[in-house]
Amino acid sequence: MRNKSVLAEAEDIQRAVEMIRLGARMQMLESETQLSRERLLKLYKEVRGVSPPKGMLPFSTDWFITWQPNVHSSLFMSFYRFMKDTAGLPDLDAIVKAFRLYLDHIDAEDMEEVLSLTRAWTLVRFFDADLLQQATCTCCGGNYVAHAYDPTHEYVCGLCNMPSRAGKGRRSRRIATDRNALV
Amino acid sequence: MKSADLQDEIRELNLAYLMLAQQLVREDREIAMFRLGIGADVAELINGLTTAQIVRLSSQQMMLCRVRFDDSALLGMLTGEGRDAATASLHAAIIAAGKPVETLA
Repeated sequence: MRNKSVLAEAEDIQRAVEMIRLGARMQMLESETQLSRERLLKLYKEVRGVSPPKGMLPFSTDWFITWQPNVHSSLFMSFYRFMKDTAGLPDLDAIVKAFRLYLDHIDAEDMEEVLSLTRAWTLVRFFDADLLQQATCTCCGGNYVAHAYDPTHEYVCGLCNMPSRAGKGRRSRRIATDRNALV
Repeated sequence: MKSADLQDEIRELNLAYLMLAQQLVREDREIAMFRLGIGADVAELINGLTTAQIVRLSSQQMMLCRVRFDDSALLGMLTGEGRDAATASLHAAIIAAGKPVETLA
């Protein structure tokens, strides 16, 4: 669809640039802005200096349920719900701001960025499509991402009931040795 | 500590708090609302304060900000109890994000 208004197009370009900086992929840009594919491709190359990655977006809801992604996506979703319900932002702005908060948190704690902007966007779309839901943990009272229509009355989150090797991947061990080396 | 000193400390902290809060709100209203734990109406109020009002407000005898976490489990996580600090902070952030914000009555 072509833009009629120059102003609206300028706004779209600005929004697209922000999303590209945060790591959005073409599918997200195409669906969230009114810009043509050619313009978005050009914009992407200008901002990042490389062509956008090709191929399909990940489409499985199961990824969001595995331990580490679940914790990160639950954190993002809590931020998103705040931005949407309490601050009253429209969908896309809420996603971008919630993602910024998420990045801030990751930075402050020196953690690995598990969720990308496109993943976060996919997560919100899965929620809109009723494929996922938020379940309240019966132990800590926080809200976590869970499959839709799963029974939730006895739900216990992955942080209250941690699997034995959770968060002990190759990378975290490396960080630990780096820290020891510093001491 | 003498009571006059205490009052000075409170005044200083109030001033620093209000100025930081206003700066945060002016920079990015929604993110400030989240970080400060305030609703849209309080954010609007802070945004509209003049410098004179801020100075007068901060010279009260009482603190203007208060402890947000009335939950002992949350407090434990924030102060780093648990298996490791990174997970504890993630857990705390998830719970804290779901807490209600301060609004005008």
